[in-house]
Amino acid sequence: MVLLEVKNLCAGYGFLQVLWNVNLAIEKGEFVSLIGPNGAGKSTLLKTISGLIEPKSGKVIFEGEAIEGIECNLVNRKGISYISEELNLFVNMTNRENLEMGAYVVRETRKVEESLEYIYTLFPRLKEREKQTAGTMSGGERKMLAIARAMMSRPKILLVDEPSLGLAPKIADQVFHALTLLNKEGTTILLVEQNVTKTLRITKRGYVLEKGKLVLEAESDELQNNEHVRKAYLGC
Amino acid sequence: MINRHIEKKQGISKLLDSLCLSPAGAIGLVFLLVAPILPFPPLNKPYFHRLLILAGIMGIGSMAFDFSSGYINIVNFGFAAFMGIGSYTSAILERRYGIPVPVTMVCGTVVAALLGVITGILSLRLRGIFAVFLTWFIGLALFGLIINLDWLTQGRQGLPVNTLFKPGTPDLVYYYVLMVIALLTWYLLKRIVRSPLGLAFQAIGQNLEAAKTSGINPALYRIINFTISCAIAGLVGAYYAHYVGIIVPDVLSTQKTVEILVLVYIGGRGSLWGGFALAFPFIYLTEMLRSTLDSLPGVNLLIYGVILIAVMIYYPGGLAQFYKYIADKVKPFLLENRLFTRDRHVPR
Amino acid sequence: MPGRTNTPQIDGCIQIIKETMMQKIIRWFLSPGGITITIFIICLILVTIHKGPYIFINTLITGGMWALMAVGVSLIFGVMNIANFAHGEFFMIGSLVAYFLMQPMMKYLQYHPNSFLIYIGPFLIVISGAVTGALLGVLVERVVFKQLRLRNRYNWLLNCFLVTIGLSIFLQNSHQLLFSANYKGITSYWSGTVKILDVIISIDRTVAFLMALVTMTALFLFMKYSKPGKAIRAVSQDEAGAKMVGVSVDNIQMLTFALSCGLAALAGASLLFMFPSYPTVGVVPLFNSYFIVILVGFGNVAGAIPGGFIIAFFNVLTRTYLGEGWELVLPVLLICLVLIVKPSGLFGAKVKTMLEI
Repeated sequence: MVLLEVKNLCAGYGFLQVLWNVNLAIEKGEFVSLIGPNGAGKSTLLKTISGLIEPKSGKVIFEGEAIEGIECNLVNRKGISYISEELNLFVNMTNRENLEMGAYVVRETRKVEESLEYIYTLFPRLKEREKQTAGTMSGGERKMLAIARAMMSRPKILLVDEPSLGLAPKIADQVFHALTLLNKEGTTILLVEQNVTKTLRITKRGYVLEKGKLVLEAESDELQNNEHVRKAYLGC
Repeated sequence: MINRHIEKKQGISKLLDSLCLSPAGAIGLVFLLVAPILPFPPLNKPYFHRLLILAGIMGIGSMAFDFSSGYINIVNFGFAAFMGIGSYTSAILERRYGIPVPVTMVCGTVVAALLGVITGILSLRLRGIFAVFLTWFIGLALFGLIINLDWLTQGRQGLPVNTLFKPGTPDLVYYYVLMVIALLTWYLLKRIVRSPLGLAFQAIGQNLEAAKTSGINPALYRIINFTISCAIAGLVGAYYAHYVGIIVPDVLSTQKTVEILVLVYIGGRGSLWGGFALAFPFIYLTEMLRSTLDSLPGVNLLIYGVILIAVMIYYPGGLAQFYKYIADKVKPFLLENRLFTRDRHVPR
Repeated sequence: MPGRTNTPQIDGCIQIIKETMMQKIIRWFLSPGGITITIFIICLILVTIHKGPYIFINTLITGGMWALMAVGVSLIFGVMNIANFAHGEFFMIGSLVAYFLMQPMMKYLQYHPNSFLIYIGPFLIVISGAVTGALLGVLVERVVFKQLRLRNRYNWLLNCFLVTIGLSIFLQNSHQLLFSANYKGITSYWSGTVKILDVIISIDRTVAFLMALVTMTALFLFMKYSKPGKAIRAVSQDEAGAKMVGVSVDNIQMLTFALSCGLAALAGASLLFMFPSYPTVGVVPLFNSYFIVILVGFGNVAGAIPGGFIIAFFNVLTRTYLGEGWELVLPVLLICLVLIVKPSGLFGAKVKTMLEI
């Protein structure tokens, strides 16, 4: 069942068009990657899907419903959680408060408690540092917090933007491991990454975006063996 | 079809251009100069001449204010205080030490300019709105000082002064002298704005960082701009004092700054002439409303408040933008009929 | 269990923890904020000894209310990035509403002197004033700021300031037009005085101070524990992040503005016995709010509270030792000094950098 579809999407900032007729389809439960060079428009794509940017033309369809142009907070309520590159954490709030804010759209306190319990089992470190101010945490812990916060609303799909950026390889591995776990438990994930090797290993399918246009789409192992991908991104 | 052939400026066009006046501006100026001596009431009544003078003073103040707010993006929210300092300096020197009025007026200008330098230096480190606050508070402090140092200024009672010309001189004389000052101010400011100095001002006003990388020293230019603005404020304040014959501390109040600010922003920030042009209908309407709607005080200000809000939201360019819109519609027509040569400078 | 002693290692740890606490406290005292508060408390004590307790009382009463208004200014600056020049006018609206509600109430009380309204009435009036201010704030936000947000984001902070100048003119002159420029005041909400520690204070003043305290506490609890309160804090810290977790930033901005205006109106209504209502009554509270916010640091909501008392104290001090008129000069010079020397405020600003590099 197709969860998220992007059809002929054109988007950008002001007069600068970044995305040119991008087409995407993600099925429920998939773990899909989006790779490409810097400035290709990967972040722009995620931002447009999540509603931070209004597209110039094209469609974004989630669970059969057209959501292009809808504001970010309303998109979030439909079940799409976006984790930005900058994380956008509430730096002066405690970890727990950040997580509680993650469940902002959830009305029943009981459900929020349940989500918190669940998140704490996945990320025990966050439970230890419940009362610590988010701004004082280390890079890797912050990424975990951002992912955890996004998960608090039990989204149907996670849009993750370059989580391994700036992290030591070991910590990045932990982040990838967390994402893999979340996907196994049922969350659909669209992962944007520059670390192509690891990404292609953990995802099932991949898209390659270059200069705002989709140039390749294939299963991850196919991509790994693809000559263009190997030359451009895997350094072979 | 717009006639793109550029003709050499001749005759009147050349004269106007060297005075930095557009044809519309020239017509307006001629009207202002001629109106008070036309034999139509109410135009030739002394009461009307008085309004013209007050409008002229506010207009010149607007030009000076816009020179700062429209170019280096510093809103001098204590502007009236600089005008008031010019007034009081001139008044006190004349009253206490008997110095002749034109000299004291120059002194008033200089003192205001000095205060402008100081304020400019103090506000250097501050981002936009905080520089505004600083100028606001300095204006407040000056206001308070004038009120409290009543052994010097006679505080709220007001300080009577000798007028610029001997008593009995008709208002018209003051008016024409003021118009000369206005024209000189316009010429000075417009020439600066069109020079590289003016470009530097605009660069600083729009993007300080970029300006710095272009090799401009923003500190120096900000101070220059601010000082010139305050100097003109001082001059016009002194002129006001020696026209009215008595000054009260309210001349320095925030309220007065707001009146000029409203003129400038409805007139179109950055245009320099917007506030000046608007001052005349503004003063006239204020007077009319005051005399006819005696039972509804403050209606005029209320209207200006609403217009300011509406302009800032829906039509930020103000009167100047409107003029440009009309001018752009009319110019092709005039060009075709060779009544008008293509502008060398693109209006801001 | 016989004589339990700690191992040397645990002793050492406790020692270290204690030291860090002490160090923390000392470090805070030496920060600009700490020094200011220390000087403030010392001066307060000295002046009370010198001139009697009424300076202290006056500081508390007005300080509490200025603090509330400063909190309002800080809030909308942190959340909406707006400097509201018409803030004082909401103070004026609060006092206006309170005045016009007092008239019928006093008439009623003439005929029913034993009604419970004598006790409850003024509270209801003050709350009505606050609510009116808040509702007006909602109207202003929807009609003015939302439109500006949609159309013109260029030079946002400065433009909003100018728009609020227009708003201020409009509100002041509306008052004058509709209700005349006369001073509309009341002698008191509740007649009578109380005696606390040998000092006689009017009931009005005591209640005003208590109201300020209660409001501050309620505000603190609201911001810390309630969902909208947390959402407000979230938006002020990271607007995009708030959007990403489903917060309607539009609604939060409306709420914040309403809250800020409501606080100003509350101050105006509760101080009606001290500040009669007239068109420009909001000018002095406006200045003071901004003095406080600059002293303390823009966006620093918690700091606005001690800041309120410090500025009130400074004003009262100036008035006592130098006379009535200097209130406009000395506090202003102090603030100019702060702006020049430490523009981010004495307690630290909590908004993006205020200095040009």
